[in-house]
Amino acid sequence: MSTAAPTKPRAPATPIDILSNDTAKLYTHIHPALVLSLYAYQFRSIVADPVPALLNTLLPLAALQIGYVAVCLPPTGSGTAAGVEKKRPGEKKKVVEGGIGGKIIPAFLSLVLSALVATPILTATLVLFGAPVTTHHFHTLLCGAHISLLSTLPLVYVHGVDGHTWREVVALLLPIDEVYGGMIGTVMGAWLGAVPIPLDWDREWQKWPVTIVTGAYIGFAVGKLVGGTLLKGKKIMFE
Amino acid sequence: MARADAIRLALANLLIPISILIFATGFFPYKPFMPGLATYEELGWEDSMKWEKDAVPEAQFDRIVFMVVDALRSDFVFGKESGMEFVHSLIIQGSALPFTAHATSPTITMPRVKAMTTGSIPSFLDVILNFAESDTSSTLATQDTWLAQLKAKNEGKLVMYGDDTWLKLFPDFFERADGTSSFFVSDFTEVDNNVTRHVPEELANRDWNGMVMHYLGLDHIGHKAGPLSPNMVPKQREMDDIVKQIWLAMENDRMHANTLLVLCGDHGMNEGGNHGGSAPGETSPALVFISRKMHKIMKDWTPFQSPIEPGSGGEFDYYRTVEQNDIVPTLAGLLGFPVPRNNLGVFVPYLLNLWDDPMDRMKLLLRNAKQVKKIVEATFPSKCFVDTEQEMDCTSPKSVGDDLACKWQNIVQVMSITEKAGAEAAFEVIYNFLYTAQDVMSTTASNYNVSRLFLGTSLAFLSLALSFRNLAIHTISLPGLFFALTLLLYGILMFASSYVEEEHHFWYWATSAWFFTLFISSSRKSWFRKFIFHPAIMLLFLLRIARRWNQTGQKYAGAPDIVHSQIFKGGDGFLLWTLVGATYMDLTNRLSRHVARSIADPETAVSEEYGSTDANRVLGLIGVLPLTSTAFIFKLAFTARDAPELTKGITSGLLGFVNHIALVPNARLVFGGIALSAAWLASVEWIASRRRKGSGKRGAEGKGDLAVAVFDLMSLFLVTQTRAQNIPLYLLFRMMVFFLSILDLPPTQITLTTLLLTQTSFFLLGNSNAISSIDLSNSYNGISDYNISAVGTLVFLSNWAGPIYFSLAGLILLGSHGRILRHVAEDELEQRDWVKEEREHLRSLVESEERVRGRRRDWGVWRRHVTLLTAFVGSALVAVMGACLVLRTHLFIWTVFSPKFLFAVAWGVAWHWGVSLGLGAGVWWVGGW
Repeated sequence: MSTAAPTKPRAPATPIDILSNDTAKLYTHIHPALVLSLYAYQFRSIVADPVPALLNTLLPLAALQIGYVAVCLPPTGSGTAAGVEKKRPGEKKKVVEGGIGGKIIPAFLSLVLSALVATPILTATLVLFGAPVTTHHFHTLLCGAHISLLSTLPLVYVHGVDGHTWREVVALLLPIDEVYGGMIGTVMGAWLGAVPIPLDWDREWQKWPVTIVTGAYIGFAVGKLVGGTLLKGKKIMFE
Repeated sequence: MARADAIRLALANLLIPISILIFATGFFPYKPFMPGLATYEELGWEDSMKWEKDAVPEAQFDRIVFMVVDALRSDFVFGKESGMEFVHSLIIQGSALPFTAHATSPTITMPRVKAMTTGSIPSFLDVILNFAESDTSSTLATQDTWLAQLKAKNEGKLVMYGDDTWLKLFPDFFERADGTSSFFVSDFTEVDNNVTRHVPEELANRDWNGMVMHYLGLDHIGHKAGPLSPNMVPKQREMDDIVKQIWLAMENDRMHANTLLVLCGDHGMNEGGNHGGSAPGETSPALVFISRKMHKIMKDWTPFQSPIEPGSGGEFDYYRTVEQNDIVPTLAGLLGFPVPRNNLGVFVPYLLNLWDDPMDRMKLLLRNAKQVKKIVEATFPSKCFVDTEQEMDCTSPKSVGDDLACKWQNIVQVMSITEKAGAEAAFEVIYNFLYTAQDVMSTTASNYNVSRLFLGTSLAFLSLALSFRNLAIHTISLPGLFFALTLLLYGILMFASSYVEEEHHFWYWATSAWFFTLFISSSRKSWFRKFIFHPAIMLLFLLRIARRWNQTGQKYAGAPDIVHSQIFKGGDGFLLWTLVGATYMDLTNRLSRHVARSIADPETAVSEEYGSTDANRVLGLIGVLPLTSTAFIFKLAFTARDAPELTKGITSGLLGFVNHIALVPNARLVFGGIALSAAWLASVEWIASRRRKGSGKRGAEGKGDLAVAVFDLMSLFLVTQTRAQNIPLYLLFRMMVFFLSILDLPPTQITLTTLLLTQTSFFLLGNSNAISSIDLSNSYNGISDYNISAVGTLVFLSNWAGPIYFSLAGLILLGSHGRILRHVAEDELEQRDWVKEEREHLRSLVESEERVRGRRRDWGVWRRHVTLLTAFVGSALVAVMGACLVLRTHLFIWTVFSPKFLFAVAWGVAWHWGVSLGLGAGVWWVGGW
């Protein structure tokens, strides 16, 4: 039966602020535009032949996401950008490495984690939601990979692998910020992306999984924007 | 307050059937109907053309063999893969004139036969009447058909062999007849042999002038295995041989010198072998006129090739395309009788060349045109269709009526100068008028009663508003938001024809999201350690399997699914029957508990957990086993006949005896057993509830066991009404209900889940919004003679089995949280039950005096449940009616939106009133005993 997680007194989660330097403030707005441009640039070839095109797009997407988190976001454990001390009761080493190495390495770790852990989970979720199960395996896997890079890579970077935080992520309990908003947007976008598939427009782009990936990309940009501005700091109320 | 709520709810529900009725009367177009038999009338140009009065062009034929092969798609006769080689040789030598005859939707047999005999374009209501075949208003006995004309001419006699639809449509018409019913589509041979055996004998008979044959085997092969079935070409060869047999008689027997053979299909079939809609395959049957006289026409033309590739018009477009009802005026000319009065067909141009004199051809065409003009006149009474020259502004006709009036006036004017202009000019204007009239009258877009459509839609909207007012929404809650979004999106999607065809995608999509939302929602309260096995994730998983069970909809029709996979088709059906057996075992187990409780000692029953001892359980099992095993045997015996490929491995071995079981009494036995069990359990529970009330003991409230018992008995009934391939789905449904009960949702969420699952399960069982997807195989269970209301009820119950199941399951989840678990997973939940009972006990102390009020509050729970369901039905009706109203001139109105309206009627009346309100109230009531 369901059991509550062991209750430890924890500091309530706070929304993630982007780093307080000008580059970060500027680049966080350029990044979604770059991601969308990348996708728009690749769109034609994705429609023509999804598997190789999606595979080829993964690498530049990963590069863009790594660049984004390294430039704009505080890595996990570093506290907020404003420098507020926010220690977690000793689980991990809290040494904040300075310089580019202290950012690129967690960024790559986030990439590895989202590629290896989040992708299978998201692919399985896609199948549960109705993705083809006997055909199009690579299509679905790559779709999962794109969603994973868009949604979970930045989250892993800022939140690490703390189980409790991830439970809060799934349970929609974290306060909204641009990273969390980006994730929710990606997932909602992917879900809404299924809507045009059954229509009888006979367009090439209606094939699996083009609309889902498109929805994810658009959802990412929208969610990130709204999460970082309008809804920042808000909590999702369910009941 | 509560009273006002109740009145509003009642009003909202009353408005549902009223709005449907008003909308339907405005929606199904009025078609002018001309009673009586047509006679030859004056043409009106006798004087100017110097024609003899009453001069009728001489008939070319005196006898007709009308050979209908059900679902004979054009490529089955003309295509490269066709097996009808003799027909090919006739086409090549010029003795057969081939056509593709365009059939309008609905492409099912009865409306098609109507079109082919009356020449009219059957209204959409004929779809309903097709299922209500014995309805006398749908017979053609009093209508003007070529059969009636042939019978009237020289006291002709008709004979008929084949599909008994003809006997139902034409009662007492035929001198000799032998009808076959298309009851089991697995019968490929008997239905046809039953026709063929009469052929030699009838070809030797002199007395008839019309013989109708209707072969069903080819259609059955299509339904069973699709157009590419290995049985298809041999069946075409068999049909080819019959054509040959008739041809040889026509060649060798002098009394057949003037016999015409017409070979045609009533409709085609789609890739899946089904029909009813308007896919090109369904609307393209073949039509061949066969006689030696056709040489006369063919001698001026280059001979046809055969077999050939389809033309540029599409995959099934062979030779020239005519409308199916063009058969009627053509036969009238060829056989020499007046064109039937309600005909909208146009004389097939090429066959006019059988007459040498252009004046004869003109007379035939003019008679056709004058007859059609009468219908046009009745449809557009304000327009001018006189036979004298008029001043008319025809540069840009304002309406189709004006356009037709102008085209008629063209005929009048050309006729006055024919001697100068020549006959060809007259043919052109006459054909122009006829084809325009045919086109206009077959769409009849102008005939809606728009104000009624508006009124109906507004009343549905009023119903929606009333139920929404009742919901009294103050705060935004998760289920409330989800419910509102579902309603809104559903309403929008009903305007998209492809989403009407693919409605299942919407429900699968929404239900998946809802289950995932339940997972999130429960995770917010407490994290489930093994989240992969969280009940909501399990629900998602079960739904995913069930989604794959039946492929439905149009776009991906025929795509792989579980039912058609090798899992079931291969392996002699053992896996399927193991799963079916497991479903019946589960039902047996559940029912035996109810019986065990009913025979337990009532004094101890109240205190004991299940009211049963081991001995009682054994007795319960013995009591219930005859019923469930009879039901299982019935299913096996029925499937052995309906779908023998699924039972091969079983019926050939151990259970061979099931092949000889009489199905009707067996089904009655099952239904009777269910009714008897229900009566027994109800009476025992009634007595127990009386005793409980009398004793006044604390905690003596009933547990609502009877509601669960009714649900289980109903499940057995629904399983009996389901095709064998779908029965394992009930195991999945069972598990879904189990996981839902673990989730222990609050009332509104249960209602929303019920709503989503009732809709979803409808499609999971393979239904869609296409008429062709209605499954009739279980609609005659236990019925020996045709009884419209019984068959109609069974059609509904077998097609809506899933929704009924979840409708009742939802009520039981709603009414007695967790109680249903006693029968599913005892050990897991004992602790919780204990807590719950303790709480119940305390509350019963506090509220013992308020019990009446408490029960009334229970009805309040039910009312709120029903209010939400009413709101959904209301909004669905608003959406569907709105779509039909706004898109009434849309190309797909008769093929997509009208069928959806019919389904919405079934949901609104039979499901909402019959199940949600009627059955639901009953179960809720007995649950409160």
